[in-house]
Amino acid sequence: MWKLNSKGGFTSLIIFTVLALAWIAGFASRLFAVIRFESIIHEFDPWFNYRATAYMVEHGFYNFLNWFDDRAWYPLGRIVGGTVYPGLMITSGSIHYILHLLNINVHIRDVCVFLAPIFSGLTAISTYLLTKELWSTGAGLFAACFIAIVPGYISRSVAGSYDNEGIAIFALQFTYYLWVKSVKSGSIFWSCMTALSYFYMVSAWGGYVFIINLIPLHVFVLILMGRYSNRLFISYTTFYILGLLLSMQIPFVGFQPIRTSEHMAASGVFALIVAVAALKYCQSVLTKSEFKTFFYFGVLAVASIVFLAVVVLTYAGYIAPWSGRFYSLWDVSYAKIHIPIIASVSEHQPTTWFSFFFDLHVLVPTFPAGLWYCIKNINDERVFVVLYALSAVYFAGVMVRLMLTLTPVVCILSGVAFSTLLDFYLRDNDTPRPNESDDEEEKAKTGGRRLYDKAGRVPKMKHEQVREPDGIGSNLRSFVLVVLVLLLMLFSVHCTWITSNAYSSPSVVLASYGNDGTRQILDDFREAYYWLWQNTQDDARIMSWWDYGYQIAGMANRTTLVDNNTWNNSHIALVGKAMSSNESAAYKIMTSLDVDYVLVIFGGVIGYSGDDINKFLWMVRIAEGEHPQEIRESDYFTEQGEFRVDAQGSPTLLNCLMYKLSYYRFGELRLDYRNPPGFDRTRNTIIGNKDFSLTYLEEAYTTEHWLVRIYRVKKPHEFNRPRIPVSSRIIKSQHFTSKKNSKRRKGTLKNKALVVKGKRPLKQS
Amino acid sequence: MFNLLILCALFINAYSLETVNKQIVNKNIERSIDLSSQLVKISATLTVENTGKESASNILILLEPKTKSNVSYISVKNSLKEELKLTEVEVQDHKSKQFYKVELSQSLQGGRTIVLTLEIVLTKSLIPYPSSISQKDRQLVRYFGSHYFYSPYNTLKQKTTVNLGSRNIESYTKLKPVSQLESTIVYGQYANVQPFSIDPMVIHYENNSPFLTVTSLKRLIEISHWGSIAIEENIDILHSGAKLKGPFSRYDYQRDVGSSHHSVKSYKTVLPAAAHSIYYRDSNGNISTSQVRVRKDWIELELRPRFPLFGGWRTSYTLGYSVPSYQYLFKTDKNQYLLHMRLLDHIFDDMQVDLLETKIVLPVGVSNVQLTTPYEVERLPDSLTYKYLDKKGRLVISLRKTNLVEHHIQDFEVVYEWPSSLLFHEPISLTFALYVLFLVIIIYVRLDFSLHEAKSEHVKTQ
Repeated sequence: MWKLNSKGGFTSLIIFTVLALAWIAGFASRLFAVIRFESIIHEFDPWFNYRATAYMVEHGFYNFLNWFDDRAWYPLGRIVGGTVYPGLMITSGSIHYILHLLNINVHIRDVCVFLAPIFSGLTAISTYLLTKELWSTGAGLFAACFIAIVPGYISRSVAGSYDNEGIAIFALQFTYYLWVKSVKSGSIFWSCMTALSYFYMVSAWGGYVFIINLIPLHVFVLILMGRYSNRLFISYTTFYILGLLLSMQIPFVGFQPIRTSEHMAASGVFALIVAVAALKYCQSVLTKSEFKTFFYFGVLAVASIVFLAVVVLTYAGYIAPWSGRFYSLWDVSYAKIHIPIIASVSEHQPTTWFSFFFDLHVLVPTFPAGLWYCIKNINDERVFVVLYALSAVYFAGVMVRLMLTLTPVVCILSGVAFSTLLDFYLRDNDTPRPNESDDEEEKAKTGGRRLYDKAGRVPKMKHEQVREPDGIGSNLRSFVLVVLVLLLMLFSVHCTWITSNAYSSPSVVLASYGNDGTRQILDDFREAYYWLWQNTQDDARIMSWWDYGYQIAGMANRTTLVDNNTWNNSHIALVGKAMSSNESAAYKIMTSLDVDYVLVIFGGVIGYSGDDINKFLWMVRIAEGEHPQEIRESDYFTEQGEFRVDAQGSPTLLNCLMYKLSYYRFGELRLDYRNPPGFDRTRNTIIGNKDFSLTYLEEAYTTEHWLVRIYRVKKPHEFNRPRIPVSSRIIKSQHFTSKKNSKRRKGTLKNKALVVKGKRPLKQS
Repeated sequence: MFNLLILCALFINAYSLETVNKQIVNKNIERSIDLSSQLVKISATLTVENTGKESASNILILLEPKTKSNVSYISVKNSLKEELKLTEVEVQDHKSKQFYKVELSQSLQGGRTIVLTLEIVLTKSLIPYPSSISQKDRQLVRYFGSHYFYSPYNTLKQKTTVNLGSRNIESYTKLKPVSQLESTIVYGQYANVQPFSIDPMVIHYENNSPFLTVTSLKRLIEISHWGSIAIEENIDILHSGAKLKGPFSRYDYQRDVGSSHHSVKSYKTVLPAAAHSIYYRDSNGNISTSQVRVRKDWIELELRPRFPLFGGWRTSYTLGYSVPSYQYLFKTDKNQYLLHMRLLDHIFDDMQVDLLETKIVLPVGVSNVQLTTPYEVERLPDSLTYKYLDKKGRLVISLRKTNLVEHHIQDFEVVYEWPSSLLFHEPISLTFALYVLFLVIIIYVRLDFSLHEAKSEHVKTQ
């Protein structure tokens, strides 16, 4: 008894140590950006989340829910409280609150920066729990270690990348763990916990739709496989009803769960499982043959009634049809044709094979092996992980961004694969009594409880065991072990390398390296934003392309016209139209929108490829979508159909506002002696229209490397002054240095009255 | 307490008007006005003679009209370089004029002379003219003063030297005899100038020295008895020279490499030699354009704001550092400590600070706090602040003063009592809290909260 106890303690110590180390390793490897640069919020969306969190911390939760942001989407404004998933802000806000209760005065920015790395540890633990439920403790530990450092997840959770996904993956994994737990146990307690965790997920990320479709799919497939049980009935009905009610408490979600097509599968399955339960009840009443016909008829009738009801309600307008974003998941080219604004975002592009390897490395080949083991030893919860894997692989193939949902399941299944392999090759040393030790270990892991259909261990594969004494034995075994360990080492090296090189750039601060390894920081974005903050009037309205809206609001604290919350396509199209029209047409749009400053990003001096000229065609396309009369994409191409900014470029392009603002006075600038003036390093050409001046705008500020250029829109009286006849013009005196000194003194008037125009003469007493 | 004193002083002043002692004569005045920076620094050597019989214990200094609000610093020293006490007084028959009374260390006997050095620093007295210029223009300013030294006494002879720091002079008033050589103008010598005589002097010249005004400086000093003192300064800066008119062109700015330009690219801040953990940031994070150079006796910090400052542009930032406490904090007695630090520190050369707010955060549990300041400051009500795991707050002393210059970089002293046993208060309470936490977990693990009877299940598995 004592011995068993101590062994249990030892196992839990190992589990605890491995999980703690996974947490620390995951946290530490996400800190590259903080160490190289500083504790700063990255990219675009995190700036909004940070600003909203700071607002909540300052003004309180209820004021945050009622927040109407008049600094965004001028002149429309944005109801922030009703259009965000508040989970992220509440999470970091409550951490901040607790720390301040202890009088630890951490700035909210630091809480936000380190939130995602901290949650990566929680994700590792919930992945461990999920994998343990699915397979074994060993697989769980493997999966936890994988998810802690896998690049596919790190890409969204480095320090400073303060976005919904950072906490949502934890919520996702934890919800799935609780769901599997509740399906296994059939207890209302665990399904309630699932619903609560689902509530947290809904509050955190729009990806909750994945859960509310995957869990019903699991239930549906289980019913089809004839694996219906009371446990399933209890857990799904409890989860669905509670989850539905809870999810509707989030203001942004509201009535969507009962009014949109995305959520209809869940309610359909709910109706189905109730019908199946009713039929099962009937089974106990009716005879077998009676029941058989009744069963098929009943199932068909229920299914068709549900389907028809959904279709009819959709046509009647009670249920909204699938949204554009959802359509683009099924039809890859849909977005490109119908919604350019979605297609213009790079993370919505289809995934390449390269990025699968890039993000998952050795897990790519081991993941199918784990999947195969799961299918081989199928049971209720493994059906779930198989479905999870298949759907996630599909979605990850459609959109780069959804790599994120694939990564956890890949880690789980690779954990299963690795654990099984190691189990097999390590265990066989004591061949005389493998079963005994197996049983004992199982008992220790499951706490002595019997699991109703715990999967058989791999050693059951008899042919392998029979062959083992033949002497493939220790050599092969050690060879396989060495290969596996090498693979894992390569994996961790790859993960660190990718994290350090690809995913740890704040993108607000750029760095370039000289030949001697010295680092030069290009801080132009913050330079420009801070200039706007300090040196423009508080209510100034800044027009820029929507990518920079959140950053301007967060770092410059000024009103923007459009931002990354792309809810109003026509407003964005209007800005796109202004950018792609010529100066006078653009001026009309800008005055109608009360624009004070225009901000453009120009990378031609340092060779920054993500600048506005390279994004310009999307602006034209989006503008064309709303204003096909004035803006035509073909006008911006040459006759050969090329988009070029040099002398052969189309005249419409060379005279549009975006071109002029980007290249104003650039034609005079000579970057080095090898190239003529006006050489654009990003596009490697000499610009076509060099010598032009601006009538309606004037340069207000340009950053050190010309990366951000800000122009002030002139007021009508500034460029439209009445002409003064030459005779009545006052000629300004040139600044000249007085040559008078005590030696050469021509006449001066002593005590001459000093008169400044517009001022009273100075009193002379 | 402080306010009461000031009130008393005012009360006494109002009812004891001074009179001008006609017996006192300025024998000779050598005045030099330094206009090469954004400040007006006037220093004058006064040779004062008492021509009467009675000895005089004090003499009067008179400020030029309308300069009262611009005077940032005024001091009078005797020939031994001892600072003499100055008090603002009102003088009979001249109530509209601003007088200072100088209390001499030894009263001036009849027929004797004394040499005094007067130093006045004026802020905001150089007015840009034209008030707004374009990027390429030079910055011209005007100074309004008086050819004569303004004094309530008769002056036998006087001479004024004006140093402009630039050869480009647009115009200047010429009261003979006057001479100009390069960047200096010499007025005088003028003989027998009557009391209260004034003659307007206007100099219009080029001044490209940085016109930076610190509109607000919030200085926070936090004392830790663990061995370091943290200092944080929140600084708002405004370029108070001629305003930028029209566009800012980066192209022209990059081509114009000349050093004499009215815009300010960077400036140097001097920190104490022992300063470490220096940070320079603003609300958007670290400002990456700064350099630290360690000199022999100080640390030089070259600060470059995110953008060059043109007239009318402003910026703000936070500068922080730590210094070891042994250089500033002394144990004077058992449980009694003396803190000796600067009320205001250097930001850039020839700085002018509109508003200074210094806050001194003392450790938890101090008592008998006494504050000594080098000059008169306004003491705001004390407050409490809470830091890491504090249950009792820390006392915060807040001081405020307006219109300061480099001459105000002087030390204040705070004496307080503090039991050193409090040093371990927080580590011990933290240890205790962790102990309780572990205890709770140990107990929790040993208890079974499940509704199932564990035994029956155990039997089943067997």
